[in-house]
Amino acid sequence: MKFVNGKGMAIILFILLCIGIIPVISCFAQEAEVKAANGPERKFTMNFVYPEVILAGGSDAVDLDLTFKNKGKKDEVIYFEYESPSGWQARVKTYSFDISSIYVPAGEERSVTFNIEPDKETNPGVYFFKVNARSEDGALTASRTLKATLTQKEKERQGEILLKTSYPVLQGPSDGKFEFSVSVNNETKKEQPFNLIAEPPKDWQVNFKPPFKDTFISSLVMKPDENQNVNVIVTPDRFASAGEYVIPITVSAGDLEAKVALQVNITGTYKIDAGTATGLLSLETQKGKAGNLSIYVKNTGSATLKDVSFLSVKPENWDVQFSPEKVVSLEPGSLKQVEVTIVPAEEALVGDYAVGINVNAERTSDDLELRVTVRSSAAWGWIGIGIIVIVIVGLFGLFLALGRR
Amino acid sequence: MTGIGTIFRKELSDHFSSYRFTILFALIAMASLITAYMAGIGLREELAGIAKPKFVFLMLFTATGSLFSLVQFVAFFGPLIGLLLGFDSINRERSSGTLSTLVSQPIYRDSIINGKFLAGVVTISSILLSITLVVSGLGLSLIGVVPGPEEVWRIFFYLIISIVYISFWLAVSILFSILFRGVATSALATLAVWIFFSFFIPIGASVVANAVVPLDIQKQENPELLVKRIKLERGVSLISPMQLYNDSTAIVIDPTRKTTKAFVVMGPLERMSQERFQRPLELLQSVHIVIPHIITLISITFICFGLSYAIFMKQEIRSF
Repeated sequence: MKFVNGKGMAIILFILLCIGIIPVISCFAQEAEVKAANGPERKFTMNFVYPEVILAGGSDAVDLDLTFKNKGKKDEVIYFEYESPSGWQARVKTYSFDISSIYVPAGEERSVTFNIEPDKETNPGVYFFKVNARSEDGALTASRTLKATLTQKEKERQGEILLKTSYPVLQGPSDGKFEFSVSVNNETKKEQPFNLIAEPPKDWQVNFKPPFKDTFISSLVMKPDENQNVNVIVTPDRFASAGEYVIPITVSAGDLEAKVALQVNITGTYKIDAGTATGLLSLETQKGKAGNLSIYVKNTGSATLKDVSFLSVKPENWDVQFSPEKVVSLEPGSLKQVEVTIVPAEEALVGDYAVGINVNAERTSDDLELRVTVRSSAAWGWIGIGIIVIVIVGLFGLFLALGRR
Repeated sequence: MTGIGTIFRKELSDHFSSYRFTILFALIAMASLITAYMAGIGLREELAGIAKPKFVFLMLFTATGSLFSLVQFVAFFGPLIGLLLGFDSINRERSSGTLSTLVSQPIYRDSIINGKFLAGVVTISSILLSITLVVSGLGLSLIGVVPGPEEVWRIFFYLIISIVYISFWLAVSILFSILFRGVATSALATLAVWIFFSFFIPIGASVVANAVVPLDIQKQENPELLVKRIKLERGVSLISPMQLYNDSTAIVIDPTRKTTKAFVVMGPLERMSQERFQRPLELLQSVHIVIPHIITLISITFICFGLSYAIFMKQEIRSF
């Protein structure tokens, strides 16, 4: 700025100052005017203390403060009217009555209560309330709008039921019992009864039981924010085939409900039954002679049994044979006949012996106890009678040969 | 066989009227009554307050009171009945000269020996039967248990075996009375045989067994040797009719006994298996076990009698 001289500089500065100062001056001028006149002759303002409110759905009426201020030198009676959007009720009241006008002395401030209430079925959204106010003579007017946002959290306001389980899937045989532990959390704000409902598959049984107690329950009363564990005992159908079964558990209170799905994986039962067709578990035989008995093995479980083998608990030197020696596979419900051959030792005593038979499948077994009666052979009896007959015949021969002398 | 009836009746009346028989019967009846009484008292005390076991009535015969059980008593001293009844049956007649008179009568000679033997058997039977009945009656009143049919049958079998056993000794004594002319000689001979079989054979059996299978009792010998020794001992002692009789009556009268062996080698499993069912044997099973014994007893009785019969028939009588 070498070409600008001091005088030119002063001019520019002045212009800049003038531009900047004009609004300031005018402002000052206005204030100065108000101050000078000690405020306007008549003036009032109307304002919401909270011009924008957010309401939760389903909530009750809310009271909002609407403030009127008389800034004039003259007392004013202010009339107001308002429009409420559909689905809303609005009124203005003070203490316990509705009002439609208010007297505001000069320089004073008055508050009224603007009461809005959404209907039960009002949809969430943004709603505007317009309030128009005027002075008695209609010379002064004011208008304000209240923005009310209705949110959708009706349910959250009611709270909720929380269900939690650590082990939602259990596994076992169909003759077992499954015990789930479900924790019920009352997140509602009320103390109320909670109904426990289960929908088990057909012929299954589900019982609810408090932990460490032996009573079955179907509902429980909980205080707000209380947490309780409920044991769910599932007794499957004894003949349930292997597979996955889902049992929905519902906990409801009023119109609130919570669900949790429990799952039971049935692995099938392993059960074998051994016996004889007639139920007779005894047999008679002689020393060293084979005695036969037919036994059957039956798969009474729900899973296929593999490698059914037979063991015998017998006295020493006895021989117990099975035919077949092994059953490779036994379907559920099927039956197989096994011939048992028992040969007592030659030195066995006459009388009763116990012979145990153990039918052993992979995971299950059954025992049979046979009573083997060892009888003496009648052979000696016949030999003996023969000897006696020979002796007697010999005697009579003697009689005949030597008698009659 | 004309005359056998006459001889039989005469012999029987002689037996029953003799002092010898009276004294003998009185002795035996007394001894067995005392034995049975002791056994009955002991049983009654033992069974007081407990459930009645099976075959309690038979215990009357097998329970050892203070000294002997009735069965043991008959086994030891029963032979004396047979011996005393027969040791002089022929040679007394011979020495008193009545035998030739008898033979000269119109009766066959075999009727004499048959009649004498039969009369002896009937006498023995009546003694044993009466003793058994008296003991049973005493038992009924003492322990108050009525025997079941099986028990009655067992007692019956016992009676039959006992009669056969004592008849054997009768046959032996008749044989000796034919063989030896002197009464004293035959009496001594029969006594000697009785003592030999009843006392020396059991001792001798253990001596023989010890000689063949020496065994140190102190040391724990292996069971096989022990069994071998016991088998040998048993085999030797079975020569004695007393052993045969003891074994057979013990099995017949005691349904819980399953073997005549004193020792049986048994594995632990076998013992367990057998103890599972403690059922007494059926009568026929018991009899089957000892049928060889019974047959042997009957056979030796018949053989003994046959022998004496043959000798008597061939003997010269007139020379006296």
